[in-house]
Amino acid sequence: MRVFDYLSHLDRRIIFLLVALAVVIPMLVPLNLPVDITGPVKNVYDKIESLPEGSVVLISTDYDPGSEAELYPATEAIIEHCFRKNLRIYMMGLWPAGSELGNMALNKIAQSYNKKYGKDYINVGYRPGGQVMLLSLGRNFGDVIKVDYQGIPIDSLPLGGGVKSARDISLVITFSAGDPGILHWITYFHARYGVPICGATTAIMAPQMYPYLSSGQLTGLLGGLKGAAEYETLVDKKGRGLRGMDSQSIVHLLLVGFIALGNVILVYQRRRG
Amino acid sequence: MKTILPLIIVFCCGFYMLATFFIPARFSQTSSQTLQNWYLGVMAFFVFIGIFNLIKINVDKIQRKLRDWQYSIILLTFLGVMLGAGFIGGRDSKVFLYLFENFQVPLGATMFSLLAFFVASASFRAFRAKTPEATLLLIAAVIVMIGRIPIGYLIWHKFPDLVEWIMQVPNTAAKRGILFGIDLGLISMALRVLLGIERSYMGGER
Amino acid sequence: MIVGQIELRVCDTPNDDGSSITVEWNAGPGYRIFEILRSTEPDGDFEKVYEAGAGETIFIDSDVKLGKNYFYKIVGRNDSFVTNSQVAGPVRPEVQYFNLARLPVLVCIIVLFAIIILYITRAKSGEKLFVRKIPALKAIEEAIGRATEMGKPVLYVPGIMDIDDPQTIASMSILSRVAEKTAEYGTSLYVPTSKSMAMTMAQQIVKESATRVGRPDWYNPDNIRYITDDQFAYVSAVDGIMLRERPATNFYLGTFYAESLILAETGHSTGAIQIAGTAMPDQLPFFVAACDFTLLGEELYAASAYLSQEPVQLGSLKGQDLGKLLFISVIVIGVLSQIFNWHFFINLFNIE
Repeated sequence: MRVFDYLSHLDRRIIFLLVALAVVIPMLVPLNLPVDITGPVKNVYDKIESLPEGSVVLISTDYDPGSEAELYPATEAIIEHCFRKNLRIYMMGLWPAGSELGNMALNKIAQSYNKKYGKDYINVGYRPGGQVMLLSLGRNFGDVIKVDYQGIPIDSLPLGGGVKSARDISLVITFSAGDPGILHWITYFHARYGVPICGATTAIMAPQMYPYLSSGQLTGLLGGLKGAAEYETLVDKKGRGLRGMDSQSIVHLLLVGFIALGNVILVYQRRRG
Repeated sequence: MKTILPLIIVFCCGFYMLATFFIPARFSQTSSQTLQNWYLGVMAFFVFIGIFNLIKINVDKIQRKLRDWQYSIILLTFLGVMLGAGFIGGRDSKVFLYLFENFQVPLGATMFSLLAFFVASASFRAFRAKTPEATLLLIAAVIVMIGRIPIGYLIWHKFPDLVEWIMQVPNTAAKRGILFGIDLGLISMALRVLLGIERSYMGGER
Repeated sequence: MIVGQIELRVCDTPNDDGSSITVEWNAGPGYRIFEILRSTEPDGDFEKVYEAGAGETIFIDSDVKLGKNYFYKIVGRNDSFVTNSQVAGPVRPEVQYFNLARLPVLVCIIVLFAIIILYITRAKSGEKLFVRKIPALKAIEEAIGRATEMGKPVLYVPGIMDIDDPQTIASMSILSRVAEKTAEYGTSLYVPTSKSMAMTMAQQIVKESATRVGRPDWYNPDNIRYITDDQFAYVSAVDGIMLRERPATNFYLGTFYAESLILAETGHSTGAIQIAGTAMPDQLPFFVAACDFTLLGEELYAASAYLSQEPVQLGSLKGQDLGKLLFISVIVIGVLSQIFNWHFFINLFNIE
């Protein structure tokens, strides 16, 4: 059939156009699909819920603008939860752009909760060196961090001066798009110092983390935009995660359609010999 | 000497760093820390070498009016503006943050979003049931793609649980198997490098 | 040692550099805080060194001097009563020169090294070792030949990580051989790098490879250039090179992340033959779907040994295979241990 001959050589640009429409149309006409909560995401939520007030949570924003669409909504949702529980946030980043993105979320949400910089939260900015830096950090924060991201001496800030080593951190939450990132925190912080680690990764990286979830090295995991949407549901704060799920749903169905079409074409070609 | 000296350094530093993993004593951890700090220092210095290389190649392109030399002007201009904004105003300066939030962030997100289009074209081309293994892969991919979206839960409330099982059991088992192989390959390559059997990364005589 | 109503245990922190003492306690419910007090004499002045909350049961005191004796006691408080534990000590922080908790790791490393060295020795003695064909590596020379016939360049992408990454080292080893072939045939070789150190290393490797085959004139340092550290800016630059220069052969060998599919699909659209290799398990499916040949995980690390065909290097591959067989046996025994509760075997693999 001519249709199948045409489809077997379908111009990629038509595929791209259909994907673009599948993303844009649900944004204009929201479907408001309900989101189910999965175990790994619930584990993150339960872990933060279990922390006593005043506990220090180290948040590491290890991503760049390319992954901002997937990880920034998760960053906001988790910071929201931490401040709601009156936990103290110690933010840093293993990627240069990540610390700026994290800072945007931190300042925005801290304002809405009337949190004080230096006492309730602190941002020490980008720390280069990857695994090498993390090994030093866990042993003695003072070896690696002298000033915060604004250049203020760290010891002059109540929260900064109070965190001396990994033992002062109750939980590490890393928003990770690659390397250095979540695996470094697991290897060089959890394995060496026993600090529990929760993570949020891009959807592509999430399957790689399941062995660490099974073994308990990773306490909980938010995978991709769906993970962010689930967490927004748990903290009851609609954000970009929930808004993006409609588009993601339609695109997934479109991909399944493409796969089905490709296999129908294969069957047709085989029959034609 | 040109070949022997680097090999000696690789041998000594490599096995010493391995030993410090097992020796908790202060002299071991301090020296290990020092070596790691040296690496950080060297790495920071190399950033300048990359920037000089970038500038040199693009200035040369402009001077010789090679193909697309106009883009080199744009590149060098923005390189200068970002560097200048950062050095003069600091990382919190309005100019630097404006350029970061309105140029770098959207551009990076745009490039990442290309994946959505490329996944579609790759799926259409490559996910064909040509062999039994490819069919199995195809079925698993379809189940995971549907189960990962809210519509999957609406179709069948156990769909997400099925997806979690696929991710946590066969997927995890396969990943662990691949990781074991990778780690063994890494150990073998590391030993070849440490013992000087593998030298092609040095560019010298093998 | 266990003392009093609040059970207090103190000991030198195991497997450390003698800079801390571990204080653990067990107390009934009802306490609001625990004050940990320390002195250098059993009857001396005790000073408070830490205040623990209700849920805490362990404190690592790292403000101690090596070789000095210390005594501890705990005061548990709530709103209506105070309980003192008995004094525990003396305890002295001491240096450990070997981390016993990591002994299983050392044993595994020694066993693996011994196996690999054994096979290297056997290879040196002239024993012929069989290594299976790896299609991707067999295709390298053909792919370079294709580019030469078409009069188009070869593009080599060594990943986006720096030279401290083992995959980058493995990639550079393969680059050395690819550079030899391209220099021999006079085909242009582009190597855009994402890291400055990787650029320097690649330049050195390509130059030396060209010299080795007697073509030092072929080497052009501008073809091996630094692009940017930013992941997606780098991939957009490489995509631009592919679309402008139209290389006939693309190599993607090293560490890749999300950009893997962008590179592979763009390369596919230009009609290039593509050979990829990475040890990133989540990127392998993209390369398998979009490239003609893919080196899977450990094949990337084995590539240099395989391409050299030197008996000594091939010997290490055989040793690696035997190591894998050993791991499979350990996994099978481990599964049986869990089923039959052979705790001794399971406990051998607890690592701190």
